[in-house]
Amino acid sequence: MFKIKVDMEKCQHYGQCVYEAPNIFKLNENDKLEYLASADESERDNVKASADICPMQAIQIID
Amino acid sequence: MNLINGPMLKTLIVGAGMGGLRTAESLRRYKYPGQIQILGDEWHMPYNRPPLSKELLAKDQDLDQVSFPIRHDDLNAEFSLGDSVQQLSLEQQSVTLQSGKKIEFDFLVAATGLRSRKLVFPNNSQNGRFALRTFDDAKAIRQAAESGKDVVILGTGFIGLEVAATLKGLGCRVKIVAMEDIPLGLVLGESFGKEILRRHESKGIDFYLSNRVIDLVGDSAITHVKLVDGQTLTCDIFIEAIGSEANVEWLEGNELDLSDGLLTDSSLRAVKNNGTSVSNLFAVGDIARYPNLRFGLPPRRIEHWNIPLESSKRTAREIVHQILPGSIVGFENESGFNPMPTFWSDQFDISILSFGDLRLADENRLLEGSLDGEFAFGYYKNESLVAVAGVGMKSTIHSLRKEIAT
Ligand SMILES: Cc1cc2nc3c(=O)[nH]c(=O)nc-3n(C[C@H](O)[C@H](O)[C@H](O)COP(=O)(O)OP(=O)(O)OC[C@H]3O[C@@H](n4cnc5c(N)ncnc54)[C@H](O)[C@@H]3O)c2cc1C
Ligand code: SF4
Repeated sequence: MFKIKVDMEKCQHYGQCVYEAPNIFKLNENDKLEYLASADESERDNVKASADICPMQAIQIID
Repeated sequence: MNLINGPMLKTLIVGAGMGGLRTAESLRRYKYPGQIQILGDEWHMPYNRPPLSKELLAKDQDLDQVSFPIRHDDLNAEFSLGDSVQQLSLEQQSVTLQSGKKIEFDFLVAATGLRSRKLVFPNNSQNGRFALRTFDDAKAIRQAAESGKDVVILGTGFIGLEVAATLKGLGCRVKIVAMEDIPLGLVLGESFGKEILRRHESKGIDFYLSNRVIDLVGDSAITHVKLVDGQTLTCDIFIEAIGSEANVEWLEGNELDLSDGLLTDSSLRAVKNNGTSVSNLFAVGDIARYPNLRFGLPPRRIEHWNIPLESSKRTAREIVHQILPGSIVGFENESGFNPMPTFWSDQFDISILSFGDLRLADENRLLEGSLDGEFAFGYYKNESLVAVAGVGMKSTIHSLRKEIAT
């Protein structure tokens, strides 16, 4: 398991992260980002890809 | 191709921006076994450019707020900064730097991006004159942009409009001059563009459209700009946001097509004038001009943030496949490089999001919402949806994305 943190001050809710890790990130009906705060190792590559693609560089992986 | 460095083969990446960094990261991710060296002419480690016209400029942030996090142990790449590449010799598999250094390579990745285009005026005074592409540019603008200053921005593209909104927020008086009659009209369509114009005007930005700056006034520093229609505008800060030119001069003399960026095939390998692909030279990011597979239209460059990312991944896979055939699962079935472009833009409280290639469209329609609030447009070519864009309505835009033909 590893932890995920999104800096909500930075996040602009563009939802680009959703395509890389759909099990972890989603936009809710109010267009706000929701995400799981921890994930299984099998999701690590996807979450890394989300962190890379995030335009605001708001996603952090914490080991 | 000749692997001149034997088992210690070397990939040289020219350009230490996002595309350059992501190429190095992807090479390691796909288990590339050799050396990696990244050459950059800026003194800074790779950083994120979009905040330069937005948060960084608004909040006067420092470089550490926009630098990409790098895990040096995993990356295992050598950075050589502050020295620009002057000349490539494909034949010798080497590049020459401004300092005179010569570096050999097995694979070369061109990721030198763009620079801002600048005009030449009869009075070509530079004092008080700016453009925005780099961190240093953003800092210079921020330093000059005190509250109450008169700013004239040339151009109604995304960067011009974002800078206008940010500097307005800092208390400057902002005017925009452009040849177009509708900001972003050619990109997003007439009604979308008119609404953007209305919102900027309602925030107090003055527009001088279907117009042009023909000269600058002022000796030691710019005080005014002259427009083609005879008006003269007070100006302390003059910002040119009229698009960009690709940094390709260093590639000249190698029989490559450099007419607009670096022309590639659909694997992002550079294409020679005689039509053959160069197996060890790749283009990544803003300078890559790659074929349009779906519509068979001429190859084009796309200046959006996700292209460096996607093109670097693709290039890394191609390189690793050449060195270690069979090591990349599914590579044989990979189709040509054709990712879905996406961009966003923030201007005041206007948040624009888009997916797809807007330039393909010959028609657009309002699909959801209303122009004075949140809305989403669909863009069509021969009746098939090729792009969506809107203000707000992010969930709607995301769900429409699925229907886009790429
Ligand atoms: C102000 C601004 C705001 C933006 N906002 C958005 C946005 O909101 N949304 C969006 O989708 N996109 C945006 N973009 C576009 C996005 O930032 C670019 O698409 C992206 O930076 C391209 O990355 P790149 O690696 O191809 O090029 P770059 O990031 O330009 O990197 C190229 C690097 O190579 C260096 N270089 C050039 N020539 C040489 C040489 N001869 N030798 C050595 N080094 C060299 C350059 O100095 C530079 O450091 C924005 C761009 C700017 C400038
Ligand atoms: S990609 Fe980044 S900015 Fe966009 S919703 Fe995800 S975390 Fe937020």
